[in-house]
Formats: sequence, C-alpha cells, structure tokens
Amino acid sequence: MTSSPVKAQAAGTDGRAALKQFTRALGVAIVLLVIWRVTTVGLAEGYPVSFWISQALNGLVLGGVYALVALGYTLVYGILFMINFAHGEVMMIGGITGFFALQFAQARGWMEGPWPVVVVALLLIMFVGMAASVVIGVTLERLAYRPLRQAPRLVPLISAIGASLFLQYSVLLIFGVSPHSYRKPALISGGLRLGDVFIPYTGAIIFVTSILLMLALFFIIQRTKLGRAMRAVAEDRSTASLMGVDVNAVIVVTFMLGSALAGAAGVMLGFHNTVVKFNSGFIPGLKAFTAAVLGGIGNIPGAMFGALILGLIEAIGPSALGIPTEYKDVIAFTLLVLILIFRPTGLFGEVLSEKKA
Amino acid sequence: MLTLESVHTYYGHIHALKGISLTVNEGEIVTLIGSNGAGKTTTLNTISGVLSARAGAIYLQEGDHSRRSPSAGGEHDLRLDRLPAHEVARLGVSQSPEGRKIFARLSVRENLAMGAFARTDRDGISGDLDRVLELFPRLQERLSQPGGTLSGGEQQMLAIGRALMSSPRILLLDEPSMGLAPILVQQIFQIIREINAQGTTILLVEQNAQAALQVANRGYVLETGNIVLSGAARDLLADPQVAEAYLGI
Ligand SMILES: Nc1ncnc2c1ncn2[C@@H]1O[C@H](COP(=O)(O)OP(=O)(O)O)[C@@H](O)[C@H]1O
Ligand SMILES: [Mg+2]
Repeated sequence: MTSSPVKAQAAGTDGRAALKQFTRALGVAIVLLVIWRVTTVGLAEGYPVSFWISQALNGLVLGGVYALVALGYTLVYGILFMINFAHGEVMMIGGITGFFALQFAQARGWMEGPWPVVVVALLLIMFVGMAASVVIGVTLERLAYRPLRQAPRLVPLISAIGASLFLQYSVLLIFGVSPHSYRKPALISGGLRLGDVFIPYTGAIIFVTSILLMLALFFIIQRTKLGRAMRAVAEDRSTASLMGVDVNAVIVVTFMLGSALAGAAGVMLGFHNTVVKFNSGFIPGLKAFTAAVLGGIGNIPGAMFGALILGLIEAIGPSALGIPTEYKDVIAFTLLVLILIFRPTGLFGEVLSEKKA
Repeated sequence: MLTLESVHTYYGHIHALKGISLTVNEGEIVTLIGSNGAGKTTTLNTISGVLSARAGAIYLQEGDHSRRSPSAGGEHDLRLDRLPAHEVARLGVSQSPEGRKIFARLSVRENLAMGAFARTDRDGISGDLDRVLELFPRLQERLSQPGGTLSGGEQQMLAIGRALMSSPRILLLDEPSMGLAPILVQQIFQIIREINAQGTTILLVEQNAQAALQVANRGYVLETGNIVLSGAARDLLADPQVAEAYLGI
C-alpha cells in the first residue's frame, strides 16, 4: 500500500527524464538538419553577398512591422496574462480603415501634391488607421474580456478566438472578399540603390517609423507616470490599486497603446503587401505572436528583438535552407513549436517564470 | 476619524468578518491583534476597498479642508464601503500590505513614486520624499536599485515609506514586524511611534501583540471574524485573558 505512491512518483520522474532526453535528441537533430541544408543547399547555390544583404534588409522591414504587433500581444499579456488572439484583426481593421483614408486622400489629389502634402497625408492616413484600431481594441477589452476577468484563464482565450472570427467575418460581410489595394504615391515608389543592393523607400520608411513608434512606447513605459503605473499593475494589480491607481483605466490604456501600434502596422503592411482584406491580419498576427513568444511573452524589449529576429529568419531562411519562399510561413510556425518545446520562456525571458501567471 | 459598523466580509461562502465594529480617532495608534486567520488582513482590505463588505458600513470623517460640522457627526462622513480601492486611497487611506508587496521590478525610487501616484503637488511630494528618506536612511543609497533586491527589513521600510508618500490621513499597517530580526522589529515600532508623533493616525495590525500594545493607545482583539475584546492598550496588556492567548505568558 505505502509503496505505490513512491513507485508512481519514480515512474513519473523516469518518464520526465526520458522525455527530456528525447527532446534534447530532437533538438540536436534539428540543428544538424539545418546545418546540413544550409551548407549543402543554401551556400552551394552561390548567391552573391548583395542578395543576402537585400534579403536581410527585407527581413528587418517585416520584423519592424511584426514588432509593432508583437508589442500589443506582450503588453496585454504582461497585464492580464491572456493572449489577445484577436489582435491580428485589430491590426487588419487599421489596415482596412487606412485604405479608405488613402482613397479619400487620393480622390482629393493629395497623393500627387507637393511632398509636404504627401507626407502629412500619409501621416494622417496612419493616424486614422491607428484610431480605428484603438476603437476596436478598447471595445474588445470592454465587451469580450473584462466580463471574463474572474473566469478561468482558458475562457477569455476562447472569447478572443471568437472575437477574432467575428471581426474577420464582419469585415468580410461589409467590405466583401476582394482585396482592397493600396496604391503608393509616386513620391515613395522608388528606392535607393547602394551598389547591388536596392532599398525601396517604402521599406526604409516602414522600418524607421516602426523604430520611432517603439522608442515612443519605450519612453512612455519607462519614463512617464502612466508607464510606471502600467508596470506596477502588471506586477501586482491589487497593490497598485492601494496606491490610488485605477486598474481598469490602466488596462484600457494598455489596450489603446497596443492597438495604436497594431493600427500603424496594419497601414504599413498595407503599403508593403499592397493589399488588405478581411483575413490579412490572421497570419501576420500569428507571426507577431510567434515573435512575442520568441522574445519571452510579457517582455517588451524581448518582443522587439524577437520580431526582428523572426523577420530575418523568414527572409533569409527559405534561400538558406533551399526551400521555396511560399513555405516561409512553415519556418515561422516550426520555430514557434520549437520555442514552446525547448524554451517556453523565450530567448530573453525569465519574466514569465517569475510571475504568478 | 475611521469607523466600522458591523462589517461582514465573505470570500465566496467563507464568512471571514462576522460583524466587526471599531473606531480609530484622529491622532491615535489603534492596534488590531489576533492570531493567524482571525481576519485582520481581511479587515484592512475591506477598509481599503480591495474586498467589499457584504453588510455593514465604513465611514471616514471628511478632511480638514472640506466643510465639516463641528460635531463631526455621521452625516458629513464619507462612506468608504462601495468605493473601489483606488478611490479609497485617494481619500487619504493608505495601506502597507501584509508581505510588503513591493514592486520587485520597479526601482526603490519608482516604488516611492507609486505611493504618491494620486498626488499632483510636486513640492509636497518632494517634501514627503525627504521625510521618508529621513525616516529610512537605508533607502537613500538604494534609490535606483530594483525593489526586489532589497532585504526583508529594507522592503518593510520601503512598504511603509511608500504608504507615507501619499501623505495619508490614516495609515493601515499589516504586520510590519513579520519575519524581521528582533532588532529590526524594535526599530520598526520606534518608527511607527515617530510617524504617529508627526501627526499620522495609525491602524496597526499585528500578531506580535506585546510590541503592538506597547506602542498603541487602544486595541481590539479579533478571533475568527469577531472582536472579542477591546480597550486601552495598557488595560489589554494587563488583561489575563490576553496575556494567556496572545502574549505567551
Ligand atoms: N483569498 C481568500 N480566499 C478564501 N479565504 C480566505 C482568503 N483570504 C483569507 N481567507 C480566510 O479568511 C480568514 C481570515 O484571514 P485573514 O484576514 O488573512 O487573517 P489574518 O490576517 O488575521 O491572519 C481565514 O480563515 C482565511 O482562511
Ligand atoms: Mg494577515
């Protein structure tokens, strides 16, 4: 009688040790496979250095956009310990709204105007997209998540998936299946040629804008009273409320910031991919989520670096591994699974394990 | 200044406070003693609005600056139960919670700034920061360190300092001596006296009944959600019932 729990425990530790060995072997196998592909296929192709540089720059642009979206996942997770799976749709709605703002600007000829007019118009388009995303993000928090704040953790997650589908199919119903195409103004259509490397203006603008927005967010979080309250609420909600912090207001502000960044990303992705439609947020949303997990979810610098790394891997990966570019999504999601198996706290994260979660 | 009238608080079906009534007068140190699980923390959290009372009432006398009848009677008192925690805090009720609850990843300076979150008077805040650093000189040299790197005693000082940064009318202290070395315990009680002498009303929750009754004017003894005894601190110290149950004599 008395020995059976001991035995069960021993079996448990045996099983765990075996699993650990198995995952370690799997890890080694994957690393060897990647090295083998890169040396025998990727490098053997003999692409010029300028090709790799171009790919890397492309990756950084995409990474910058992912970072803006990843920050929304990580901010919300940091405060509510929930994954806002509708965040990709928050971004998509920013993109769709940005498209209509762009159409409005085009109809008035602003996009063919002198360069200051074009720049101001582009900024306005981005703000409109951001504002739309903020409205959607705040509404989601109020209607889909706040009522479930006391529920078990799986419940708001299901609500988020429901909200994601609701938003996608609402957009489908209202705006139809056909993609809305973003036409770039002539001013930013060209690019810069540095030797053999071509840098499109849009790419450069997207990257710089992403970095500026991230710096602004970083400033708000690290240097302002509001940011300090956000960090306090993320650590301990009820103690923060003892300090006079209105926790619900801070949560709303967190959704606003995350959604604003997603809206900007949606508009920039519109210009980058040239189209938006009802499901444009889905895959990029998952990629950004992957980036947030890669950097350690809840960790703000982690989300930024995770996204840049993911962007680079996605851009260089297909050529390096010698697989068709259409399969680049496979790389991102394989990476997600691998991180969840081998390093669930992400590359930069002890953050998660510290928290009560 | 603070009055609880037969307050009942529940955790789901658990009836934790079974009709607590107590009063704290302006300028006093009142202590609430009782063994583990008696409901002391629950009482403070109900006052602070972290928990809500299911029945009963909690009143806070209006501040000096607002109109108040000379009698300071019930009708000009503010009703605290029903208010969310952040609004209670903004009315001048400040709590240093059990287990200190320091924001581990915020610096010591940021922790103190959080205490002053609801304030906008820059001069007043910097004056109170000086005062807190004078009370706790150890915090001065640790201002830019993360709160989580402080020792237990330093964290307790930070927790009290943070609560003082709101310039509270009444300070609620939940077991400030918990887990501290005897020499530090003495120091903390000395500081509690000092804070009170500077004009802050204090409601002190303690398991260390001996030390608490020595600094307090009055005391209440809590047992499984009921107040079973109350009176002047020196009478409680002399009470054989208290001595047997709480002073380990
Ligand atoms: N979060 C909670 N959920 C359920 N019961 C609780 C909770 N917190 C405290 N209690 C119960 O309420 C009673 C009073 O607890 P507490 O106020 O923490 O006591 P004290 O601070 O005097 O040690 C205890 O019986 C305790 O088990
Ligand atoms: Mg307690």
